[in-house]
Amino acid sequence: MDDITYLSIAYLGMIFGIAIWTWTVVSRSRILERRITAMEDSLNIDSKPIDSIAATNDADEE
Amino acid sequence: MRVKLGEVLLATGFVGLMVTLYLAFNWAPSVNIEAFESPEAQRIFYWHVPAAWAAFIAFAVLFIGSAMWMFKRSPTGWKLHVAGSEAGLACGLMAVWSGCVWGAAEWGTPWDWEDYRLNTFGLLTLLALFLVLGRQSQPDGVESRDTFSTFGLYGFVLVPLTYVATRIWVIRHPGPVIAGDEDSSISGDMALVLMIGALSFTILIIGHILTSMEITKFEQRLERLQKQLDGE
Repeated sequence: MDDITYLSIAYLGMIFGIAIWTWTVVSRSRILERRITAMEDSLNIDSKPIDSIAATNDADEE
Repeated sequence: MRVKLGEVLLATGFVGLMVTLYLAFNWAPSVNIEAFESPEAQRIFYWHVPAAWAAFIAFAVLFIGSAMWMFKRSPTGWKLHVAGSEAGLACGLMAVWSGCVWGAAEWGTPWDWEDYRLNTFGLLTLLALFLVLGRQSQPDGVESRDTFSTFGLYGFVLVPLTYVATRIWVIRHPGPVIAGDEDSSISGDMALVLMIGALSFTILIIGHILTSMEITKFEQRLERLQKQLDGE
């Protein structure tokens, strides 16, 4: 296999890897957002984005 | 659906990487064939160096996030920690993989266990892998966050060590071509492609960090909703 073929395969593998990674991140974000909206709508709840672990820790320290 | 900044940056960075790839193959000048065993494989440099640069940005974000969580118990700090470790793992793997490809073509071996730069960078990537996998296998809590943040804080020591490794201990990994000694230089065209690559990777990594922080925020909201549903 010549140098350019070898390099092209390596590059394509990395581009493919980055494309999958980027797509996974974006779709995970969209799926979570849709789930939250659906849950909030069906339960009539408006949850604020609070980190419960940090909040619990703050309460413990007080 | 509204367009988000993180997603726009991810798409822009990805297009930039495609442009870098095109320029690296079709426009960047060839290197001196006498100086390299495998001159064409050198073109992987336009991917490898920007990937390593982006990994360093991600590790800096991991360090800042870990410090913010440890000392301030900041929720934003924890989100930065999560985003930094994931982005550091992805870019670290890109740099390691591209380095192995070049090493196999140029040195005849993908890895050299005696080279400091290779091994310190490999350790950094393993640290990011540990943080990502560890977080998925442990229940989220103050103790687990403290443990992972401690690794994020102390692991950052490897970043300056990796940076100076090729300046102090030149073993197999080539020395720096930018900001190195007076002998280090690259041609203007090569520097331009390298800069486009570095800019693209930087935009991509910022996009990933923003999107990942949003995912952490969503996961926390979902967990809170679930608790409300369960009546806790």
